[in-house]
Amino acid sequence: MVSRVEVASDVERRVWDALAGVHDPEIPPCTITDLGIVERVHVTTDAVEVDLLPTFSGCPALDVIREDAESAVRRAVPEHDVRVRFVYSPPWTSDRITANGQEALRSHGLTPPGQGATRVVIPLASLAPGTTGATCPFCGSSDTVLESAFGPTLCRSTHFCRSCRNPFEAFKPKTLA
Amino acid sequence: MNGDPRLALVLSVADDELVIGHRHSEWTGWAPHIEEDLAFSSIAQDEMAHARLLYGLARAAGLTDRDEDALALGREPAEYHNAVLCERPNGDWGYSVARQYLYDTADSVRLEALASSSWRELADVVNVMRLEETYHVDHARTWFSRLAGGPVTGRQRLADGLSKAIGEAVAVFEPLPDESKLISDGVLPRSSEDLLNEWLGAVGKELEAASLDFVLERHGSVGEMVPTGSGEVRGEEVFSPPGVNRRDGVWIHEGGFAGAGGRRGRHSDDFVPMWEEMTMLYRTHPGARW
Repeated sequence: MVSRVEVASDVERRVWDALAGVHDPEIPPCTITDLGIVERVHVTTDAVEVDLLPTFSGCPALDVIREDAESAVRRAVPEHDVRVRFVYSPPWTSDRITANGQEALRSHGLTPPGQGATRVVIPLASLAPGTTGATCPFCGSSDTVLESAFGPTLCRSTHFCRSCRNPFEAFKPKTLA
Repeated sequence: MNGDPRLALVLSVADDELVIGHRHSEWTGWAPHIEEDLAFSSIAQDEMAHARLLYGLARAAGLTDRDEDALALGREPAEYHNAVLCERPNGDWGYSVARQYLYDTADSVRLEALASSSWRELADVVNVMRLEETYHVDHARTWFSRLAGGPVTGRQRLADGLSKAIGEAVAVFEPLPDESKLISDGVLPRSSEDLLNEWLGAVGKELEAASLDFVLERHGSVGEMVPTGSGEVRGEEVFSPPGVNRRDGVWIHEGGFAGAGGRRGRHSDDFVPMWEEMTMLYRTHPGARW
């Protein structure tokens, strides 16, 4: 006989596995667990609740992510009622992106925001010339300049590499520090 | 309208964000260069998302039966609680930079206070907003410095924009309906007047550092928007900003507003044409889904 706890933990494992297969539609190599937006999975006898944290609150991919996550979890645990929702506490920060996630961003041509000392710096005087701390995702040079703190999506800033002469984008740091 | 004063508080912030977000979005395709198309479009997208979060909060807290679309787009003009500053047309680049600088610095003072609200769900949403607003203030300060230190035409346009916007920026802190109850409940941790003085002191110092503080001593009009046939009645012309004075080296507010009334639904003649465009699709196709 299987105890209720074991059943719950098996369900929970299947839910996490399913969530780890959901990709950000705008950054396909990155999964939502890589991005650190899955805050909580709560399993009861007949229901599963998943709480997600929005990266940037105006990101149009959020609705798609929620729906993709919900259908992935439904497929994984069809016997359960599934609810996936966004919550706002704690606020998501870019420090939640995992090492895998940072690598996935780089593979997509996006400089990851880094963490702590390696964090990309968006200087207060954004239009002032100078380095930005962003490493070029193509050649690895740090001789780069910030073009704008804004870019094609809310989570990206735009840069230029003075070494390989390529424009590139970085995932914007979002941090409490 | 529900009697709970939290509704007017949430709508004041949400409507500011929605309306100034709509104005920012009008730069899309028209800004001086493509980076600024992206910047103003991104800021607009953030502001509208913040409005959406707050409208959702109002409904979740049972303060209104209306969903976020009905709140954003389904109200009559006199039901919007935004400050008049937010509804003014973009004008030239100087005014747009001046208005964004004044609004986003004011907004950051207000949000910092609301982050310690006793209303936990509001504080949570505000904390999410603040992480994104940092980039808005950065954008505004960057352009403020560039125009202030730049060639004479840009500096003059910035000064003209600041002169035009400063009085109505003060009115962002017009007291809220039933504010004393919000304060005694800890929902609003500090009074609007207290927040206004914090903001005005800081902005006054920045204007002094840029030798632009003369805009605090020169002002166009004083009075309140009143709902007459024309929608807008200007008060008498004056040449000092209402209620703004310098005492012991600090700029302070001592009562009186220009362009007040927004918090009670009294708007300028500029609001209705903007409202008509903003809500046209919603009004033409009730219940349409995106």
